[in-house]
Amino acid sequence: MKIRTHLPIVFTVPTMAVLAVLAFVPTVDAVNIALQNRELSNPDSVYVGFANFRALFSDARFLNSVWVSVEWELITVIATMAVAIPLAILMFEAISPKLRNALCVLFMVPVLLPRVSAAFVWRFAFHPLFGLAVYPLRLITGHPIDLLADPHTAMATVAIVDVWQWGLLFAVVIVKLLETLPRQPLEAALLDHARTWEVYAYVAMPMLRGALISLVFVKMIESLRAFDLIYVMTRGGPGITTETLDMYAFSQGFIESGRISYASSMAVLMMIATTVAFTILWRRVRRWQEA
Amino acid sequence: MRLRAALAATVGGALALAAGLAGAANAEAICTHDLRVLAQPRDGLTLLEKYKDEFKKLSGASFDIDYLNENDRRAKSRADASTVGKYNVYYIDEANVALFAKSKWIVPLLDYYPKEYDYADFDPGRQKVATFEDKVYFAPLTGGGDLLVYRKDLLDKAGIPVPKTLDEMIAAVKKLNDPDHGVYGIALRGQRGSGANVWRWMPYFRGFGGKWFDGDTPVFDGEPAVKATQVYLDLFKYSPPGTKTGSWDESTGAFLSGQVALLVESTPLAGEAIDPKVSKVVGKVGYAPPPTPLTGGGYAHGLAIAAKGNKDDAAKKCAGLFIAWATSKENEKRRLDDGEFGELNRTSIMTSDEFNQKFGADLGQALAATAKVTAVNFWQDPEWPNLGDHWGIELEELVTGTRTDIKGALDELNTYAKTLVANRK
Repeated sequence: MKIRTHLPIVFTVPTMAVLAVLAFVPTVDAVNIALQNRELSNPDSVYVGFANFRALFSDARFLNSVWVSVEWELITVIATMAVAIPLAILMFEAISPKLRNALCVLFMVPVLLPRVSAAFVWRFAFHPLFGLAVYPLRLITGHPIDLLADPHTAMATVAIVDVWQWGLLFAVVIVKLLETLPRQPLEAALLDHARTWEVYAYVAMPMLRGALISLVFVKMIESLRAFDLIYVMTRGGPGITTETLDMYAFSQGFIESGRISYASSMAVLMMIATTVAFTILWRRVRRWQEA
Repeated sequence: MRLRAALAATVGGALALAAGLAGAANAEAICTHDLRVLAQPRDGLTLLEKYKDEFKKLSGASFDIDYLNENDRRAKSRADASTVGKYNVYYIDEANVALFAKSKWIVPLLDYYPKEYDYADFDPGRQKVATFEDKVYFAPLTGGGDLLVYRKDLLDKAGIPVPKTLDEMIAAVKKLNDPDHGVYGIALRGQRGSGANVWRWMPYFRGFGGKWFDGDTPVFDGEPAVKATQVYLDLFKYSPPGTKTGSWDESTGAFLSGQVALLVESTPLAGEAIDPKVSKVVGKVGYAPPPTPLTGGGYAHGLAIAAKGNKDDAAKKCAGLFIAWATSKENEKRRLDDGEFGELNRTSIMTSDEFNQKFGADLGQALAATAKVTAVNFWQDPEWPNLGDHWGIELEELVTGTRTDIKGALDELNTYAKTLVANRK
């Protein structure tokens, strides 16, 4: 095919250039800093090769934070989808279109709220003595319960806030997707005596497979950026039970010791790991979709 | 019209005289740009913002204060000072003055502090905290030591005398703890941080004879630290929920809302306890020095001149004038009139009749008694926040139960301390 116009180049080159500068400069800088031994309190630094990276693998807190990040990723992505899909089906099946639209607007409010504000509101709601969210638990058990200070419940409690924001939004997206589906295949399934859940499990959801997978990817990327939420609600605590990689990197860089080279090396590792993981996942999913 | 002008001039002149300001200060504008101040929330600073016009008249420019809570303020000021230097004035505290001074992120204050503002009038303990290697770096906004603050009504009802020793205090805490009726024995701080949980833990550590370093060798990893941690963890059984990951706000909040029988906390709590705006226990509170052998945690926070944010001498002078004005006798007097006990730092104010009338003689006595046991509990070194915060995380793990081996945690800290010392260049 012959290119008849230069328009594609005219449109893409400036954007790509801006993107390259915005993404490339910090990335190169991060790699550069990661190879030195820079500290905030000391203007002099020298190149130390991969010493920071080697140190990371004998740092128990780093290994813990890797595990916490993986856990956070799994919990929030699975829980968000587990809330969003049934909620969307329920709204689609049981509620009149008018009410459904009103609910959709309502369900978008949490995600419109700035994350830091949402985190503060929820942190107060979980306060063992004054919190509204834990009040029923207090009535049942007769004791105040400090969910955010208990290592067994802290992560799940923070995840609730994340799911509250994204699960509800995704439910709205899925409802809208369901509304766009052609009726015929669903009706055909019903004529074949399929039960309601079977209609959704075997007909509607497979039809939405591509869209749902995109949503999962969006959520996976979004979950990686949960720093603000975790920072406000637990600061990585109790102890280090909710300390994700970005929390630990920030903590090393700015809160505790000012070791920005060490923090940068974590950021670089995280970037490599996520790029590799996402590429593999993306390929797998595409192969699976084509199959 | 002329009469009004004359009146204004007289009043203005009288004010200037009373304020002890040099005429020269008024003659020319010292500041050319509005100052940017990074601070943590303080009633005294909020009050100060009402008098922006006064500062503008004095200096020729105004000021803007950005507020962040303590941990965030420390992180942000450190990041700002070491990189872009956007702020002219930093809020500094006992824990990071050594780091900021050593890194040359702030400059010695008295070079730019107008003499007529009388720096020597500040409480000597706070002056000591503001000094690093014989140079003064900040003018105090708050400071003090610890007080045992207790509920007179609860102690009387249980027939318990005011605890004078730690053993008596522990016994009282156990006896007064009654969560079913909404009263907890004590309130402690569990949240990580050299100025949070570690701050409350240190009086036990130092009280039991602990020391941080002997020269460059860490010596804290011994019996006093283990015992201090054990006692601290045992007492946590009687501390209200929310304090395990809480700090000053959570523990004093629980006390002020009437849920705690007694606690050892920093002196500003005494002022809050008698302020009906924040306290539900007004009239029920007594004060005493911390029970022996606890040492009071001497501290001070204040304002310092940023090195990077003030490029030339004129800018530093402007920042110095702001700090002097903000901590002046007149502004302290305003805080006293407003009942802000925790914001008072000048000897002339704290020994005034007005102070006694406002806060009562008991508090004055308790303050005098606690001054005798007030000590510098932390390691006075630029690396202190680093070491203190590291211990803060381990202590939070111990408090919340994700770690149980006290000695193991201290050994780990010891290894960390050795690398800190070894990394010094």
